Amino acid sequence: MWEFIARSLEASTIFTVAALGELIDQRSGILNVGIEGVMLFGATFGFIAAQSTDSYLLGFLVGIAIGSLLGLLHGFFSVTLGADQVVVGMGIWIFGFGLTTYIGNPYTGPLGMERVPPIFGLSPFFYLGIVLAAVSWFTLSKTNLGLRIRSVGENPSVAEVSGINVTRTRYLCVTIGGMLGGLAGAIYSLFYNPVWNYNFLMGWGFIALALVFFSMWNPWVLLGGSLLFGTLWQLSLNPQLVLPGLLSRYIWRTIPFAVTIGVLLIISTAWFRRRWGAAKPEALGEPYVKE
Amino acid sequence: MRIGGCQLKLEQRVTLAGWEAALMSILAIVFALFLFGFVFILDDVDPLSAYQEIFSFAFANPYGLPLTINRFIFLLLCTFAFIIPFKAGLWNIGMAGQLYAGALAAFGALFAFGGKELPSPDLSPGIVIPLMLMAAALGGAGVGAIAGFLKGKYNINEIVVTMMLNFIAFWLVAYMIKEGGPFMNPGGRGESFELPSSVYAPLVMDVPFTIFLVLGIAVLLYFLFAKSKIGYQIKAHGHNPAAARYAGISTFKIPLWVFVVGGGLAGLAGYHYFAAVPGVYKIARNYGFFGDLAFYGIICGLISLGNPLAAIPVTLLFGGLSIGGRFVQGKLNMGFGLDYALLGVLMITLVAFQFFYRYKLVLSPSKGSYW
Repeated sequence: MWEFIARSLEASTIFTVAALGELIDQRSGILNVGIEGVMLFGATFGFIAAQSTDSYLLGFLVGIAIGSLLGLLHGFFSVTLGADQVVVGMGIWIFGFGLTTYIGNPYTGPLGMERVPPIFGLSPFFYLGIVLAAVSWFTLSKTNLGLRIRSVGENPSVAEVSGINVTRTRYLCVTIGGMLGGLAGAIYSLFYNPVWNYNFLMGWGFIALALVFFSMWNPWVLLGGSLLFGTLWQLSLNPQLVLPGLLSRYIWRTIPFAVTIGVLLIISTAWFRRRWGAAKPEALGEPYVKE
Repeated sequence: MRIGGCQLKLEQRVTLAGWEAALMSILAIVFALFLFGFVFILDDVDPLSAYQEIFSFAFANPYGLPLTINRFIFLLLCTFAFIIPFKAGLWNIGMAGQLYAGALAAFGALFAFGGKELPSPDLSPGIVIPLMLMAAALGGAGVGAIAGFLKGKYNINEIVVTMMLNFIAFWLVAYMIKEGGPFMNPGGRGESFELPSSVYAPLVMDVPFTIFLVLGIAVLLYFLFAKSKIGYQIKAHGHNPAAARYAGISTFKIPLWVFVVGGGLAGLAGYHYFAAVPGVYKIARNYGFFGDLAFYGIICGLISLGNPLAAIPVTLLFGGLSIGGRFVQGKLNMGFGLDYALLGVLMITLVAFQFFYRYKLVLSPSKGSYW
């Protein structure tokens, strides 16, 4: 049972880190639906780097770096060129899905390195996730920078008039978002499940995207949501630990996805929207053209 | 920017003529193929001869051409499944889940007629095949309807929902065909029971009859968007849902309609690949690969700018490229996933080219030259 809880926390860390990146993106008004592609890239290149240099540090750094590059790419298309952000996000996802399948294929198989040692019996990345959530919450709601980010996400033209550089703020956010996405992918492939196989994520990035929607754009709620989904995911992989013999294991695999749809349904009801709906960044997904 | 005595600058497009759009799409494809050439160079393969191999296998080889045509039918149905919601401003990335559901429903209809029993029963194709087709369309439409209903009624992000449905359907297929599932092959090879030979889809010159179905649908969709009331309403919803609502167009009915019809067509794609392509005739163990292929539908839909007739040559080309890509990968000893890499490169090039749909480069003689 303890092992199950520890594994669940490891899984939830990946959701936390990836979704925090997406949350920072969205707070500045940029929607990145291609987070799964960023994670695939970070995971694959991190895996290759770690395996060929035998260094975890290098693996994670490469994962973060490739994530930031993809964030910049997303920023270039959606901030500078003002393209439709959904098109760009889908592009980055399919780009990641297609290219990592080809690039990573020669590396198919286990990583073959000693596991990152746990701290107090838990994954070191779990603590990192909590720290990142705290830092994002503090930065977004208590600092000047956070105010600027939020105002750019709410109403970019008003922000521009009051002296905030919208382009620079958004670039900053997409780069950080990309770095966190790449890091989340690297945590998956270097720690959570250190075996490379094509398209191994199977929906982690999309669940992270959904997590942001129902976190009400609040890092603490997001942390709670990712704990829930990490546990659910782990349960769907090992149902015999909790409820042996009930339902086929394939049916269990559908449950995290079905629950995601259910939660999205709850937060979209009229009651919920009246109560909490104002949290959504007003300018989310809309390109800003300076007049 | 100045070049000699001329000035080069960017201008926003007001309108985009049909020929300009077509030219842009062709340029995007050519540019993507050029970029993709570097993948061959990195693998020490001459890109020109690789492309020659790809095209000659896909379009001029007696083994390759039928494969290309079968994949073309499949991709065209997936493209339509993407295009119809896309016209309404909605993203259907759930073709994979819809086609799995279509395949399951078609095999479910067959199962109901005792298709699993051995020795394989002699079923009447005149009854069973239309029923399988209908079941496939209904299965896909049912999965699509979930996304359409949630979008129309509660305005839930359809990208997330369709993606979640993809994974749900993926595992449901696994449940049905593996480890003692109801549709498991008696041989237990992790695939579904085989189609009795009496209900193999009729072939016309070695091509399944589905080709006529899909080409008919293309023409029908063209007229739907060009002439019909619902087509107009879909386009109005795509341009501006709020304005469409004020004009009396239901923002519940349109998302539901486009996802039901789109999902139904994706369901037919599931029927086509698992019950009509010669040599398959079962839900194969690698069914996930066909779900991945369905994402070509997004690219084909974007390149053809939502035009159902323009989608025909585009999907034929990409069907051939993906078949030929697999072929040269084996022939030239390249790594697995060449067709996936092509998918990625095409997609990102296309995103970059979106810019030119909205802006154009204008070269004009500059006034008051500084030179």
